[in-house]
Amino acid sequence: MSGPLPPAMSPPGPPTTPGPPTTPGPPTTPGPPTPAEAPAPAFVPVRQRRQLALPKGADPDAPLLVVDDLRTYFTLESGVVKAVDGVSFRLDDGEALGIAGESGCGKTTTALSLLRLLPSNAKVVGGSVRLFGIDLQQKTEKQLRRFRWREISIIFQGAMNALNPVRRVGEQIAEPIEHRLGVPHDQALVRARELLELVGIPAARAPAYPHELSGGMRQRAMIAMALACDPAIVIGDEPTTALDVMVQAQILELLEDLREKLGLSLILITHDLSVIAETCDRVMVMYAGRVAEEGPVGPVFATPRHPYTQMLLRSFPDVEAGRRDLGTIPGAPPDLRTPPPGCRFHPRCPVALDACRTEVPPEVTFADRVRVACHLYPPSSDGTPRVVPVAGELAAAAKSPT
Amino acid sequence: MGNRYILRQVAQAALTIMMIVLLNFILFRMMPGSPERILLGRNPNVTAEALQQTKERWGLDKPLLPDQFVAYVVATAQGDLGYSYVYRGKPVADVLAERIGPTLLLFGLAELIAIVAGLSIGAYSGWRRGGAVDYVGNGISLILYSMPYFLIGMGLLVIFATGLGWFPTYGMVTPGATYDSTWDQVVDILAHLALPLACVAIGLIGQYSILMRASVVETMNDDYVTTARAKGLTDGRVLRHHALPNALLPAVTLIAVNIGYVVAGAITAEKVFNWPGLGTLTVEALEARDFPVLQGIFLLLSISVVVANLIADLLYGRLDPRVRT
Amino acid sequence: MTTQVLTAGQLRRQRLALRAQGWRDFLRRFSRRREGVIGVAILAVYTLLALAPVFFVGPLETAVTASGGRLEPPSPTHIFGTDELGRDMLNLTVHGTRISLMIGFLATVVTVSVGVVLGVISGFVGGRTDTILMRITDFFLVLPTFVLALVLTPVIRDALGGGGEIFGIRVSLLVIVVAIGITSWASTARIIRSQTLSLRGRAFVDRARVIGAGPVHTMMRHILPNVINLIVANAVLVFAGAVLTETALSYLGLGDPFQPSWGQILNAADQAGAPGLGAWWYLVPPGASIVLVVLAFTLVGGALDDVLSPKRTGRK
Repeated sequence: MSGPLPPAMSPPGPPTTPGPPTTPGPPTTPGPPTPAEAPAPAFVPVRQRRQLALPKGADPDAPLLVVDDLRTYFTLESGVVKAVDGVSFRLDDGEALGIAGESGCGKTTTALSLLRLLPSNAKVVGGSVRLFGIDLQQKTEKQLRRFRWREISIIFQGAMNALNPVRRVGEQIAEPIEHRLGVPHDQALVRARELLELVGIPAARAPAYPHELSGGMRQRAMIAMALACDPAIVIGDEPTTALDVMVQAQILELLEDLREKLGLSLILITHDLSVIAETCDRVMVMYAGRVAEEGPVGPVFATPRHPYTQMLLRSFPDVEAGRRDLGTIPGAPPDLRTPPPGCRFHPRCPVALDACRTEVPPEVTFADRVRVACHLYPPSSDGTPRVVPVAGELAAAAKSPT
Repeated sequence: MGNRYILRQVAQAALTIMMIVLLNFILFRMMPGSPERILLGRNPNVTAEALQQTKERWGLDKPLLPDQFVAYVVATAQGDLGYSYVYRGKPVADVLAERIGPTLLLFGLAELIAIVAGLSIGAYSGWRRGGAVDYVGNGISLILYSMPYFLIGMGLLVIFATGLGWFPTYGMVTPGATYDSTWDQVVDILAHLALPLACVAIGLIGQYSILMRASVVETMNDDYVTTARAKGLTDGRVLRHHALPNALLPAVTLIAVNIGYVVAGAITAEKVFNWPGLGTLTVEALEARDFPVLQGIFLLLSISVVVANLIADLLYGRLDPRVRT
Repeated sequence: MTTQVLTAGQLRRQRLALRAQGWRDFLRRFSRRREGVIGVAILAVYTLLALAPVFFVGPLETAVTASGGRLEPPSPTHIFGTDELGRDMLNLTVHGTRISLMIGFLATVVTVSVGVVLGVISGFVGGRTDTILMRITDFFLVLPTFVLALVLTPVIRDALGGGGEIFGIRVSLLVIVVAIGITSWASTARIIRSQTLSLRGRAFVDRARVIGAGPVHTMMRHILPNVINLIVANAVLVFAGAVLTETALSYLGLGDPFQPSWGQILNAADQAGAPGLGAWWYLVPPGASIVLVVLAFTLVGGALDDVLSPKRTGRK
C-alpha cells in the first residue's frame, strides 16, 4: 500500500482528454470483448448526414455531446436525494455509449436530466450539457423544447406504458413529425408508415392501438417513434429489459442495423452488461449517482479497474469460463439522502482504504482512454488494474494465515 | 365500437333491472298489512267484493311464485304500479309522472353544469399542482365533499334568500301568481330554480373536481406523459391529447358509480327548498307511509340509475379502446 | 450463519417485540402527516363528547325542561341560542353527538363485518360461490342504496312495532343501523375480496394447506391478519359514509325526536322554519359538527391509506 495519498482533489472535473482526436473510434465486434483492432468504418458522422439543419448556435467543430459535472437532486418530504452527483461524460458522432449500474444508481435520471424531463420534485442543480457546443442547461423550458426529440429522443422501458393507450400507434409516431416539423397531417402519416417498415413492422399495423401489438412490436414502434424527427442522439432506457431473450436479440440487432444505416449515436442505459458488450463502443459504469469507471468496452470489460466494475462483471455468467460461483456484491446501495462521505462505494468495497472514507476519489484517465474514479488509481498511478479478490478467497485468506 | 361490447352491456343492464323488479316484488310482500288492502289504499269504503276483485286481479289468491311474480312483472311493465294512499286511489304512475318534470329540470341542469365546471376545475388543479389556487380550491372541495347537500342548501337559503333576499325561499313558482306572459312565468321559475340549482351543482362540483384532480395527478405520473413531454410538444397539447383523454377514464367510471349517491343528495336538497319534484314526493310519502308511492319511486330511481350507468359504460367504451375487444 | 433454536416463550416475545416495533413505526409515519393528525384530534374531541354528554352539558333538555325562550339567538347564557321549544342548542348538539356517532359506529360494524365476511369467503373459496356472491355484490353496488334504506326503514320499523332501547339507543334508530348495514356492505366486500384474491396466491397459504389447515382456519389465521390494514382504512371511510347516510335519513324524517341525532335536529329546524326565519344558530352547530366529523374521517382515512400503502413519489 502506498503512503498517504495527495490531499483531496477538487470535485471531478471534465475527463482529461487523451492524445487521440475526436474522430469516431472503431466499432466493437460482437462477442468476447477484445481490444478493438478492426479498421475504421465507412459510415459518415451524423452531422454531415442529417437531412435537417443544425440548431441555431451550433458549433460545427464541437463534439456531439459533452456532459460536465451534472447534478440532479430530488426533494422528498424525507430529505433531498442526490440522485446524480457529479456525472461527466462525452458522446461523439456515431458512437454508442452504454450506461450501466444497479437500479437506483442514477442512470435514468441522468438521461432525463439532459433534456430536463424530470418529475416536478426533481431539479438539475448544477453542471452543463453541451449539445453541438450549445449549453442546454442555460436554455429556458421553451427554448429547450426545440431540442427535444429533434436532437435527442428517448426510448423508454416498457413500451406498454410509454405509449398512449388510447391513441393509435401510427398517429403517435406521426405526432412529432406533424407538430415539431410542421409537416401536414397526411404526409406525416405516410412518413410514420415508412418508419414502421424501417423497424420491421408492416405498415398495415399503423392504425393499431398499443395493446393490440406484442411486446416486441411495441418496442419497435417506440424506436420508430424515436426516429421520427431524425435526431442526432437516441437514448434507450432499458429498451430490452421487459422482453424475452429472443425478442431482445431482435431489438438489439435492429438497433445495430439502424446505427449503421442512419449513423445514429446511441446512449444505451441498462443493468445488463452483456447487452452493452454486444452493442456499445464505450461503457460508463455508475454507482450511487457518480461515475465509477468509463471507457471503451474492450479495456473496461477485459481489464476492469474499479472494484465495483470488477465485482459487477463477476456477477454475470460467462459462457466461456468454467463453472464458478457467481459473485455477489455484499450490502446494498446507499440511501442517497445521506450518501457516505468520500467514495460512495467504500462501505461495500473489500479493498477500501482510509482515504476512501473521507475523500472523493479524483477521476483519472489512462492511456487506453479508460477513466476511473478510485483511490486505488491516484493521478500518479500507471493504470495497472488492481484485481479485487473474490469474497470467498478473502474469507479463506483471513482464516488460514499463510 | 364492437357490437359485442354494446350487447354485453345492455344485457347486463337488463339483468340488473330484472333483479330490481324482483327486489321490489319482495319488498312489496314485506309490507305490513295485506297486499290487497295496500293496493286499494286506505280507502275506508273498501267492500269485501272490491277486496276479492283486487285479489283476483292481482292474482293474490294464486301461489306466490311464479304466478304472483309474473302478474306483478306484467303489471309493472304496463305501468301499473298500484294506487297511492295519499292521493285517494290515484295511480302511482300518474303521481310520479307529475313530479318527475321538476326533478329532471333541476337535476339535469345541475349535472350538466357540474360536469363541465367540475371536470375543468379538477383538470386545471391537477395539472398545476401546488400554488395558492390549488390548495385553496382543494380545501374548499374537501369541505364541500363532507357536507350533505341539504346543508349546502340550508346555508344558501339563509344567506341568499332570507338574508340578502335575492331569491325566493320555497317552491318552484310563487304561490297564487298569475303571469302576463310565458316569459314572466319562465323568469319566476328561474328565480326559484337558482338556489336549488346552485345547491346541487356546488355539491356535485365539489365531488367531480376532487375526482378529476386525483385522476389527472395520477395520469401525469404515467410514462406516456413523459414521452409526450420528451417529444417536445407544448404543455397544452400534452394535457389535451395525452393526459386528459386518459384521466377522463377513471373519472367517467367514478361519476357513474356516484350517481346513486347523487340521487340521495338530490332528494334531500329538494326538501330544503320544497322543490316540487320526486324528492319532496318521497318525503311526503314517507311521512304518510304511502308505500305504493315509495315503491314506485324506488323502482323508478333504481332503473334510472341502471340506465345512467349503462350510458356511462357505453361512453367509456367509446373513450377507451382497450375494453372494446 | 448459525441458526438459533428458540423456546416457545422466546418466540412469543420476539413476535411481540416485532409487533410493538411495527406499531411504533406506524405511529411515527402517521404522525408525520398533518392532515391525519388534525383528523384524529377532531375525532378525539367528538368522541369524548359522545361518550359522556351528560358530564359536559347535563341531561338532554326536553320540551318540559327547556331552559330558554323560543328561538333565541346566541347569548351569554346560551352560546348557540335555542330551538323552537326553547332548548339550548349546545345541549342538543352535544347529545346529538352521542346519537350520531353511536349509530354511525354500529352501522360501520355491521357494514364492515358483512363486507369482510362475504369478501373473504368469496375471494378465498372462489368458483361458483364467488361468482354468485359477486353478482349480488355488483347488484348492490348499482342500486341506489340510499333509496333502498329509505324504503326499508319504515317497513322494518312498522314490522317491529314498539319502542324499547338497546345499547341506550332506541329501537327505531337501530333500524337505521340495520338499514345502512344491509345496503352499504357491497363496496367493502369488493375491496376485501380483491385483497383476498391476491393473498390467496401467496406461498404461505399453500403452506398452510399442505400442513392440513382447513379453510376456515386458514381464512381466520392467515388471510384475516393480512387484510386488517385494509379493513381499518376502509372502516374509517365507511364510518364517514354511515354518518352522512344517517344524517340524510334523519333529515328526511326517519330520525327519532326523543333521541335527536344531528340530522334530526336539522329536520326539526326545517320544520320550525328556521332557514326561512334566519335562525342560523339552529343550523350551524349540528351542521358544522357533521362537516367536521366527516372531514376528520376523510382526512384520517386518506392519511391511513398513504401510510399503509405508500405510493411512488417519482422516479429515482
